[in-house]
Amino acid sequence: MLFFSTTIDGLQMGLCFAVLALGVYISYSILDFPDLSVDGTFPLGGVFCTILMLHLSIPALPAIILSFLSGFAAGALTGMLHVKFNISKLLSGIIVMTALLSVTLALTKLLTKNGQTTSIFSFRSESIEGLFGSEFFTAFGTASKDYIVIAVLVVIVIAVKIIIDIFLKTKLGYMLKATGSNEKLVISLGKNSGNYKILGLALANGFVSVSGALYANMYMQYDNTCGSGKVVMALASVIIGVTVFSGIRFIKDTTAVIIGAVIYSLCLNYLVLVDTGGIYLKLLNAVLFAVILIFNDRISSIVASKNRLASRSAKND
Amino acid sequence: MIELKNIVKIFNAATVNETQLFKNFSLSVKKGEFLSVVGSNGSGKTTLLNIISGSLPINGGEVLLEGENITKLPEYVRARRIGRVFQDPSVGTVPNMTITENLSLALNKGKPYMLKFAINRRKKYQLKELVLQLGLGLEDKMDVPVGLLSGGQRQALSLIMSTLTPVDLLLLDEHTAALDPRTAETIMKLTDEIVRKKGLTVIMVTHNLRYAVEYGSRLIMMDKGNIVIDKSGEDKTNTSVEDVLRVFNEISIECGN
Repeated sequence: MLFFSTTIDGLQMGLCFAVLALGVYISYSILDFPDLSVDGTFPLGGVFCTILMLHLSIPALPAIILSFLSGFAAGALTGMLHVKFNISKLLSGIIVMTALLSVTLALTKLLTKNGQTTSIFSFRSESIEGLFGSEFFTAFGTASKDYIVIAVLVVIVIAVKIIIDIFLKTKLGYMLKATGSNEKLVISLGKNSGNYKILGLALANGFVSVSGALYANMYMQYDNTCGSGKVVMALASVIIGVTVFSGIRFIKDTTAVIIGAVIYSLCLNYLVLVDTGGIYLKLLNAVLFAVILIFNDRISSIVASKNRLASRSAKND
Repeated sequence: MIELKNIVKIFNAATVNETQLFKNFSLSVKKGEFLSVVGSNGSGKTTLLNIISGSLPINGGEVLLEGENITKLPEYVRARRIGRVFQDPSVGTVPNMTITENLSLALNKGKPYMLKFAINRRKKYQLKELVLQLGLGLEDKMDVPVGLLSGGQRQALSLIMSTLTPVDLLLLDEHTAALDPRTAETIMKLTDEIVRKKGLTVIMVTHNLRYAVEYGSRLIMMDKGNIVIDKSGEDKTNTSVEDVLRVFNEISIECGN
């Protein structure tokens, strides 16, 4: 039973982080930009969404969609630091991430009306009707609540995936891909490649913020430390997804990234079962990541050799 | 028509390594002229192209394209009117995109890249027709990522992409140097064909003296930032590879090579 509930938890987390991973897929895989500002834009989306919902009483879904804008602005800032002021990729990410730690803290302060800063800001149950609020679920009974959460998350994740897939088929999307892979070509097409970098980072962090907003909704609380480690988590998801499933032709990169995020979250949750004390959690986490990458190398070489054999025998026929 | 007026180029200015390549360099290439540039390493051939394309700043002088002063324009703005093919075949294409995708990008040059679908059925057909005319066998590989093609095929594609939309000037930067002799020959013939068909103005930097003599309407040899040979028209037709080689060797001996 514990295993079952862990699986459900893992699925929910994985789907929520799939949106995060899709954002990082844009910056890391497409633009070739290891963007560290993610650790800041994830909580930014969460707190932005919370403010919209609590203070401006905007309904959950529009609030989540609007939180895209907060990450968009922060991502554009990272891009501008890199493009306009020639600050290295890693450092411009670090600068924005560091700045956002204060920004989110200040925004959190705005939420607590008596002016106290608390590292964990909780507003469970009474004051907020989140996207997964109570009314909706009474019809289904509490047992099915988890499944509905998963269903709603699946719909959102698929919607984000389709939006990104379509975007990448447009001329603008092509330019983004070209910028990440061969900047000189973009210049030779008469365009300023820097602008595409800024736009790409803005979009990527927009999705990251949406993921943060979803996260706050899912747990009905905003926690200012929820951003830490999100870069690593997202990169792990993207790398696991793209490298493990790249051998299979009919799976698109975006789908692979979603699967990667879910697999990684599930594994993380199962690790909690193994190490109930929680001391070796991060160590196990690291070992898991290493094992996946090592095995993936083996698997993909096997897949590649099989493909080669298949094509050779097809030629001989 | 491209004009370089009194160009001054100093590398590592105000350091011990300061070297002045161009002191007062001027060059004018007429519309429709195919100029081949030869010279030893360090003679300033590639720097010349970089100055024209805008990827290198200059310390003095002016660059005029069709009479318009483009000296202060950034590289990407100049690129709207100047096509360029590099020595490295991977620079002219996007390796992880297919031939169709690459060509669709090049075909859209000069127009905005917004949220319209990059490829539709009509465009796909149009691009395939275009590749079919080349007769390089690439028409069967339209959906193959360009990174999987050979260097020659990629360079052919780079050449087509840089001339797909009208340009005032085409820069060829040793574009056959990384290819095997047979492929280099094919690419050179393709270059000549495209240049003739479109009546392009071309500056081609090459280490292959035979190409410089055989192709194009004008030949210059550079040495330490100066033009030492400048032949065009009948004068060039009567020039043989041996003539050029003799001067080339004289220069090299002076340098102590």
